[in-house]
Amino acid sequence: MTAKQKFGDSTGLSDEDLVLSTLEPDQLAEAKKQRIPRRSLRRGELLVLWFLRVYLLFMCAVVVYQAWTGTH
Amino acid sequence: MNLLNGLKTLRHVVITHEDIDRAHDRARVQAARLRRSFLSRFRLLWLLVGPGILVMLGENDGPSMLSYAATGARFGIGFFLPFIVLTFVMAIVVQEMTMRLGAATHRGHAELIFERFGPFWGWFSMIDLGIGNFLTLITEFIAIRAGLGFFGVPPWAAVLLALALLYTALMTHRYWTWERITLAIAAINLVFIPVALLTHPDWHSISNALTTWKPVPRMDQNTLLIVLADIGATVTPWMLFFQQSATVDKGMTKRDVGFGRVDTVLGAGLAAAAALATVVATAPLFASHMSAEHFQAAEFAQALRPLIGRLGASLFAVGIVEAGMVACVTISISSAYAFGEVAARPHSLNLPVRQGKAFYSVVFLLAVLAAVIVLIPGLPLVYVVLIVNVIAVLAMPPALVFLFMLANDRELMGDIATPAWANVLASAVVVFLVGAGVLFGISVIAPRVFAAWAGG
Repeated sequence: MTAKQKFGDSTGLSDEDLVLSTLEPDQLAEAKKQRIPRRSLRRGELLVLWFLRVYLLFMCAVVVYQAWTGTH
Repeated sequence: MNLLNGLKTLRHVVITHEDIDRAHDRARVQAARLRRSFLSRFRLLWLLVGPGILVMLGENDGPSMLSYAATGARFGIGFFLPFIVLTFVMAIVVQEMTMRLGAATHRGHAELIFERFGPFWGWFSMIDLGIGNFLTLITEFIAIRAGLGFFGVPPWAAVLLALALLYTALMTHRYWTWERITLAIAAINLVFIPVALLTHPDWHSISNALTTWKPVPRMDQNTLLIVLADIGATVTPWMLFFQQSATVDKGMTKRDVGFGRVDTVLGAGLAAAAALATVVATAPLFASHMSAEHFQAAEFAQALRPLIGRLGASLFAVGIVEAGMVACVTISISSAYAFGEVAARPHSLNLPVRQGKAFYSVVFLLAVLAAVIVLIPGLPLVYVVLIVNVIAVLAMPPALVFLFMLANDRELMGDIATPAWANVLASAVVVFLVGAGVLFGISVIAPRVFAAWAGG
């Protein structure tokens, strides 16, 4: 289905012209298949992430314990 | 150099159905931007608002409204009114970043974490999001069931109705149409304002509470649970993933960031108004010393009936149904966006079913599974609802750290990376959430230590 068929003749443009004139190149679905380069994490950032990971696991155990005591 | 600029040279332009739909929406934005009149600014705002309002009103969901209702009924107005306003300020700080990130990168949150930090951290985030979203989804069906139960609708029919509405909203296959339908339903969240007015609130007490934060409740484990539930009612991981993906799906760009901010603040304002109204509406239960410790959503409506009449109680129940319904839609979609981004499958509300089978299947499978669980007899529904908000608070700090790192990544964000002052605010939010979580942990594991601290 072309843009004209789909939206009537309001745009007056073909599919390709409409898309290319309104969307930024990296907004196209096809462009999103290209990967973004990996960033290496600094030691400080890794430390914070691991701290928060351990914090979350510990807190999950606390919530399970709280739920267990709460329902009994 | 902006990394994404390097991706802009495509040899062959492949245009999909999703691109055409998005291009049509963007054409309207461009046309409105070309006109310089006052009215066209309003039209531009109308075209660009959506993700921010939806995410904020979506987070005024079943468990959130129950938390606000429990707050009013157990503590009245006082400390919690300004505290809830503070939680919405935190939500604005955080959500503005996700909107900016989506507009700058045109990528979803899950996708960025996976690609920028690798699958190890990506999967950790996904597991947090998946568990949190699914538990929250269950509570949305609990709210729908409870709210419709007030009108005598049996649980199975309530759940079926919710699934049918979810199906109808999604079958538009068009982001714009879906967004407008969901916004219209989300507006019903404001029904808590007339409910509050029906209780004839004491405006002097309200303004006094908002300015003085008094009276401050005695701090014990139950108070802390409500504090955490109120925070979890405003800032949760699914909101980060949803607003960023919706910003991308809507096709917003760096030029739209200003309107994105208005959208986010407007959404927070509307949601805060509904939240405060809910506290004010149930405050008379506190004044009449009614024990609301184990109330379900519909029971609040029943309890309020002698005070605000059948109409007021019905409005309250309608508000609870809406809260569950809109969140059911937004949370399911947030999970489906994340799944599509991670599995590299097409993920857009502009997709026809044929091209977006995986995307739509995730939405429905999660919703159906959550709906079935809610129908299990004897499930401790009230407890699940309160605990879900607490889990949301606990899962938030790791999610926020990823958000801050991405929003500060100049290679991704270019000239709209987070400024230093916003980083200070954002760091304060993380410290506050971690502090609240640690206090909760102490209150559970070492209640005497907590009691001594709170008493001192």
